[in-house]
Amino acid sequence: MDVSAKESNAESAAASGPLKVLIADDSDSDRLILKTLLTRLGHHVLDAANGHEAVALFHSGQPDIVLLDALMPAMDGMEAAREIKRCAGERMVPLIFITSLSAAEDLARCLEAGGDGFLSKPYNRVMIEAKINAFNRMRLMHQTLSEQRDLMHERNRQLLEEQHVARRVFDNVAHTGCLDAPNIRYHASPLSIFSGDVLFASPRPAGGMLVFAGDFTGHGLPAAMGAMPVAETFYGMARKGFDGADIIREINQKLVHILPKNMFCCGVMVEADFELSQLKVWNGGLPDGWLVRSSDALFRLPSRHLPLGILSAGQFNAEMETIRTCPGDRLLLMTDGVLECSNESGELFGERGVRLAVEGLDTTGQHPFDALMRGIQRFTGSQKFGDDLTLCCLEMDYQEGLAALPEGAVPSILAGPAEWTCIYELREHSLGEFNPLPLLLHICMEVPGLRRRSGEIYTLLSELYNNALEHGVLELPSEWKYTPEGFGRYYSERALRLSKVSDHYIRFSFHHEPMQWGGRLRVICEDSGQGFDFQNHPVLQSTKMEQSGPRYAGRGLMLLKRLAESIRFHEQGSRVEINYDWYF
Amino acid sequence: MVDTPHLDEEALAELRDVMEDEFSILIETYLMDSKERVESLKEAMANEDSDAFAKTAHSFKGSSINIGAPRLGALCLKAEKVGQSEKLDEAPAILEDIDEEFQKVTSAFQALISRGAG
Amino acid sequence: MPIHTRRGHDGKTLIIRIEGRFDFSTHQAFRDAYEHGGTGIHGYIVDLSEATYLDSSALGMLLLLRDYAGGDDAIIAIENCNSDVRKILTISNFEQLFTIR
Repeated sequence: MDVSAKESNAESAAASGPLKVLIADDSDSDRLILKTLLTRLGHHVLDAANGHEAVALFHSGQPDIVLLDALMPAMDGMEAAREIKRCAGERMVPLIFITSLSAAEDLARCLEAGGDGFLSKPYNRVMIEAKINAFNRMRLMHQTLSEQRDLMHERNRQLLEEQHVARRVFDNVAHTGCLDAPNIRYHASPLSIFSGDVLFASPRPAGGMLVFAGDFTGHGLPAAMGAMPVAETFYGMARKGFDGADIIREINQKLVHILPKNMFCCGVMVEADFELSQLKVWNGGLPDGWLVRSSDALFRLPSRHLPLGILSAGQFNAEMETIRTCPGDRLLLMTDGVLECSNESGELFGERGVRLAVEGLDTTGQHPFDALMRGIQRFTGSQKFGDDLTLCCLEMDYQEGLAALPEGAVPSILAGPAEWTCIYELREHSLGEFNPLPLLLHICMEVPGLRRRSGEIYTLLSELYNNALEHGVLELPSEWKYTPEGFGRYYSERALRLSKVSDHYIRFSFHHEPMQWGGRLRVICEDSGQGFDFQNHPVLQSTKMEQSGPRYAGRGLMLLKRLAESIRFHEQGSRVEINYDWYF
Repeated sequence: MVDTPHLDEEALAELRDVMEDEFSILIETYLMDSKERVESLKEAMANEDSDAFAKTAHSFKGSSINIGAPRLGALCLKAEKVGQSEKLDEAPAILEDIDEEFQKVTSAFQALISRGAG
Repeated sequence: MPIHTRRGHDGKTLIIRIEGRFDFSTHQAFRDAYEHGGTGIHGYIVDLSEATYLDSSALGMLLLLRDYAGGDDAIIAIENCNSDVRKILTISNFEQLFTIR
């Protein structure tokens, strides 16, 4: 054989690599020709004289390509082809029919039996080579695709596993707080492991609750990343007694710093005061909140602010809307996902769906949360909810006493000072602008023995401060707060008088000393206002509860009497001294 | 019949090129195989099995064309059609032609091999 | 292309028109539109007359444009919204940041 032929044979072996080829032909001479041809092309040939042999050789030899004579005795080509394709399973083994059939139906039958292509007799060397190369490329491509697909499956599985682990860390930070309280019902259904929706709830140290619902732009992990710092801020500040406006301001500030410019968080902050029967609401970008009154009247709380994470501290408006409520009133909060549920026809549930569900209540006597959930399920039918869907219902519930603070975050185990004194004084305009209670509470919390009593301490300080401010400095009659008309008057007067405060102060003095049995905290609160007649105050002289009175509305005094070891009034009542004892 | 040669020189040259030293083995294989096929054709005709007749003729046709015996191949095509249309009464005449052609092809191949062997 | 840009009559305003869905898939094209809008641009108009849908990532893109155009000093108007689009902008109170007409 001349050199060029040898070279071209080497080339073709290189082009397709030496392959294992199975051939089947009942003509001995034809089979010999084909076998020699293929061997010269550099391939390894398995040859069979009929269908049975072909199938057997396929099992044992596992060839890369099969060349099959269409018409053979003893299990003809079609049957063998079917058997071989079945045996190959997911592996792509090109199967080429060798045939001198030309009728279209015959060729169609070959393809139906699993044939990938045809070769005609007489054998054409160039044709055979070309076909083998072409089909081999196809085979290799299929193999690459399968490998890549398997790789992707594995990577995907790993990612999901990582997300599950991350989720557990996330849950420890962005926990559910007091969402399981009896007056809260909620539903949170993320599509993926991480959701762009958040729902937090925390009781406040002096009673009442804070609820935050949020919807971060995007989905999955990037959206959830913003939730962790927000959770820390919310629960940390709530525990210390900060109010809704302070917390929302801080959350905004945090998000402005950590989120990229095009990411933000639509949110609602709710501050519920069960004592005063009032709600304060801040809505920036979420759908309307619905207040379903026990009288079935409906009141909407639309979004009035830009979402969180957009405006700088100087531009951000934390003003909350104040609404009077009655026990039994229920507030429904929801994220976009509720409005964007779709049914089979692609229609959206929308505001209309919410309104229908909520307006139909008086006839059914249902809880608005159940009514809305039912409405959504009926609307979407078998459809899975398409988006992160978060729904929460808070009931205005009069709670006796103080709620237990959840052990959500790690309590501090730091040691603290045993005997100390601290004086903190607020004057003039700071009186109106700054709420000192969280800071004062923080100072007291430095004492390990007081840490578990933060609720009581906060309540004490809060009562002292609010009375000093409202009755001492601003001289507002507290009985206004307890009537519907007086309520609005009270708060607008408060705002007015706060802006005009001058030559006034409130001073707190703390002294703590350790005792054998625990410790004693002495708190003195003085203000620059007029005093009151404490000598003849009915509550102080008796144990009966009074609803109204000039100063220190009965409830407040009862609370102080219950919590403190002793209360003493000086200077016409503008100076109060309280001893609070704690035991090991 | 058109003046088709008994052996196709061009096809044979190709085959020689592919088979190299094994050319003669190929020819012998073909001749042995074909003798059996002719026998099968006669048997099928005797049994009046037109299906077997057609299939055997088809096979014979294929291998003959491959080996470079076009006239024989054409005759086999005719035989195949006879079998397919089940007109076995025409079979004897065709078979006679095939037999005759096959003899000629056999001699031609034997001459080729003895010449090539040298 | 679902995004078209042209200059206003005064030559100093860049008008960006968006067709169809204004969502995450429009991100790169929108960005290219204002980043390569040319020099001497003093104000922007985002024309939503042919926009059918707006989602939170579109709101994010508007914020990016605002940041690019000078933040608080940016002059950006959003025009010709249909009622659905308008609704989304209203709930988010975006008229506090953009002129919407």
